[in-house]
Amino acid sequence: MKNSFIYLLLLAVTLFSCENSDDTVFEESADVRLNAALASYEKQLVEAPYGWNAVIYPGGGGSYGFYFKFDDKNRVSMFSDFSDASAAKVKESSYRLKAVQTPVLIFDTYSYLHVLSDPDEEVNGGVRGEGLQSDFEFSIYPDSAKADVITLVGRKNQSRLVLTKATQAQATAYNSGDLAKGLLFNNIAKYQTYFKRVTLGGVTYEITVNATDRTIKLTWLNGSTPKTFTTSYYYTPSGVSFVSPLVNGSQTITGFGNITWNASTTQLGLSGGGASGIVASAVKPLSVDLAAAKRWWQDPIESGGDWRTVDGFHVNGVDDAFKVKDLTFEGAQYAFYVYQPGLTAQYDLFGPVFFADNSLSIEYADAPKRPTFTADGRVVFSAYGTLGDVPTTGPHVNSVNLLYDAAGFYLIQTSETTYDMVSAKDAKAWISWQ
Amino acid sequence: MKLIVKTTFKHLVAALVFSVSLSACKEDGIGEVDDISGLGGDEWVKGPVDQWILDSLVTPYNISAKYKWDQFEFGNITKTLVPPDESQVVPLLSTIKKAWTMPYVEEAGKVFYNKYSPKFFILSGSNEYNSEGSITLGTAEGGRKVILYGVNLFKIKGMAGYDPARDSSFVKDWFLHTIHHEFGHILHQTVLYPVEYKNISKSLYQGGNWINWSDADARRDGFITAYSSSAFDEDFVEMIAMMLTEGKVGFDKLVNSIPAGTSPHGVTKAQAQAALRQKEAIIVAYYKNTWKIDFYSLQKRVRGSMNKLF
Repeated sequence: MKNSFIYLLLLAVTLFSCENSDDTVFEESADVRLNAALASYEKQLVEAPYGWNAVIYPGGGGSYGFYFKFDDKNRVSMFSDFSDASAAKVKESSYRLKAVQTPVLIFDTYSYLHVLSDPDEEVNGGVRGEGLQSDFEFSIYPDSAKADVITLVGRKNQSRLVLTKATQAQATAYNSGDLAKGLLFNNIAKYQTYFKRVTLGGVTYEITVNATDRTIKLTWLNGSTPKTFTTSYYYTPSGVSFVSPLVNGSQTITGFGNITWNASTTQLGLSGGGASGIVASAVKPLSVDLAAAKRWWQDPIESGGDWRTVDGFHVNGVDDAFKVKDLTFEGAQYAFYVYQPGLTAQYDLFGPVFFADNSLSIEYADAPKRPTFTADGRVVFSAYGTLGDVPTTGPHVNSVNLLYDAAGFYLIQTSETTYDMVSAKDAKAWISWQ
Repeated sequence: MKLIVKTTFKHLVAALVFSVSLSACKEDGIGEVDDISGLGGDEWVKGPVDQWILDSLVTPYNISAKYKWDQFEFGNITKTLVPPDESQVVPLLSTIKKAWTMPYVEEAGKVFYNKYSPKFFILSGSNEYNSEGSITLGTAEGGRKVILYGVNLFKIKGMAGYDPARDSSFVKDWFLHTIHHEFGHILHQTVLYPVEYKNISKSLYQGGNWINWSDADARRDGFITAYSSSAFDEDFVEMIAMMLTEGKVGFDKLVNSIPAGTSPHGVTKAQAQAALRQKEAIIVAYYKNTWKIDFYSLQKRVRGSMNKLF
C-alpha cells in the first residue's frame, strides 16, 4: 500500500511538471531586454555629438578629470589631467559594452584611464600591486543614465565615474590642448615659500595644495576669526575645478580659471569668484595656530612616540636640500631622521637613524635644549649638547644649524598625525614630520 | 502466484503513470530562443590588430590571442592588472612568432606545430605582483592556454625608448623563456623523456626551496637555473628553454662559468658540468628520437631569429 502512495505522488508531480504555461511579468524575455539596454547605453555614449566631460573618483581617493569621445566602432579617444603629456595629446583605445551581472562599460585596452589603475607604482605613484585603486570596468545601473549625465561605479574598487555631456566649445578646448593650460596651476609648487596667498574680491586666501591627494585648502580671516575650507579638485580646460564650491558670504568660488604662469617672475595668475589675482609669497601663516608648536612638542611625550621624516629639510625649492638620504654609518644605511621631545628633563634628541642587520640604531645625535615657545606661536630651538661622535661637516651639521636658527619655526598641522615645521625667518625651509 | 500478480499490477500502474507523464510533457520544440548576449564570445568592430592576429596566427596555426580585457581569463581575480596597450600587441606576438613558432615550423613542420602548440594566448599589460614580493611572468594551463604578463613593458629594437642592455635580456628571460618553457611541458607530457634523466641529479632537487637559491648556486649543483632544481619536469623544460634562448654559445658559456671548488651540497665543478652535459645529451636525443627534430639546428634558428630582434 505504501507503494501506491509513491505512485500517487509521482502522478501528482508529473501533472504539476506538465504545467506548461510560463507567463512572464515582462513582455520581452530577459535576453531581449538586456540586448536592448546594452544597445541604448552604447547609443547614448556614441551619440553625444561633442563627447563627454568626465571625472573619476578612484576608490583609493583623489579626483581626476578626463574627456571621452566614443564612436560606433568600439573606439574611444581621450584626454586626461594626470600629466602634462596626457592633457595635451589625445590617445585612442578601445571600449565595449558587455553583460556581466549588470551591463558593463569596459575600457578594454590600455588608455589614460588605466594609468590610474596600473599596479606598477612607478606609473602613478600608487601602491605596488594596486596602483591608485581605480577602475576601468564600470557597472551601469538602471538609474545610471540620465539625458546629460551618466554615473557609473567601478567593479573592482568602486571608483565613481561621472560623465557629463560636453558642449561644442568644451570639445574644441580639449582638442586644442587647453587642458594642459589648466595644469599650469601645478606651478604653484615652484614658489619657494611655504605660504602662498591670493586676494580675490577683497578677500585674501591662503592656498595650501596637496597634489598627491588632490586637495586644496583655503584659509581666510572673517574679521579676526580664521576660517578654512578644503575640497578635492581636478582639471578642466578652464582651469582648476573644485569638487565642492566655496561659499563665503556673497562670494562663491567653484574653482580657479584663467590660469597664467610667468616662469621668469615665478608668478601664477588665476581668477575665482568673479575676481582675479596673482598668487603671492608670504613668510608667515595668514592665521597662526598659536598652540600648534606646543601641541607638536607635547604630543609624542603623551603618546610615547616621536617625530620622523625621511626627507629632512626642504630648502629654497629643493627636497632633501642637505642630502640626509646619502648618510651612512659604518656600512649601515640611512633610515630616517627623528626628533624625540623630552628625552630627559633638560634636552630633546635630533639625529639620523640607521638601518643594519634588520635593526635600527642611533649612532650620534644633537641634543637641543627644551625648546622655547614664543607668544606669537613659534618654537625656537637651541643647543644643549651632542650625543656620540657627531660629524663636524655634512648633512647632519647643516640640518642642525638650520634647526637652531634663531627665528625659529611655525608648526602647521597638516593632518591628525602630521605637521609641517616651517622656518619663521623666510618660510623657504621646512620639514614634514610624521 | 498471488505475489506475482501483485507485482505485475504495480508495474502496470507504474508504466501507465510513465506513459501519461511522457505524453503529457511533450514539448513543442525548444521554444523561442533569443539572441543571448555574449553567446559566442564578445564582439567588437575588428581593427588592424585583430586582422593581424587572424592572418598571422589564427589562419595558419589555429592560435588565438586575446588582448582585450577579460577579467575571467586571469586565474586570480583579486589581483590588479591592466590590459595591454594596443601598440604593444603586434610587436610582442610577432616576436614570439619569429623566435618560437617559425623555428619549430621550419624544423619539424606545420603538422607537428599545429598539433602540439598551445591554442590560446592571453595578454596582460602589467605584471602580476605577488604578496611575497615576486612577480608572475607567465602561466600555462593544461597545454592549451598561456597567459603572458607585462606586455606594456616589452620593447625590441626599433621601438621608442629601447635600451638594449635592459630590454634584450628582459624579452629573452621573460617572454621567450616562458613560451619555450611551457612548450617543453607540452612535449614531455605527450611523450615522456627517458627515465635516466631523473637519475642525473636525483638527490639534489630542492622542491619549493628553489626560491632560496640563485641561478649561480643552482649551476654549481648541476642545474641550469634555480627553478630547474624544483622538480624533474621543471628541470627538463628549463634546460630546453635555456638552451634554445641562450643558443649553443651562450649555453656553453654558462656551463663553463661554473666556479672551481665544491658546492654546499658536495658537488664538484666537474660533476656539475658533467650533469649539465648529460642532460643536454638526453634532450638532444629525445628531440631526435621522439620528434625527429635536430635540436642543434632548432637552437640555431631560435637564437638566430633573436639576434635579429635585439
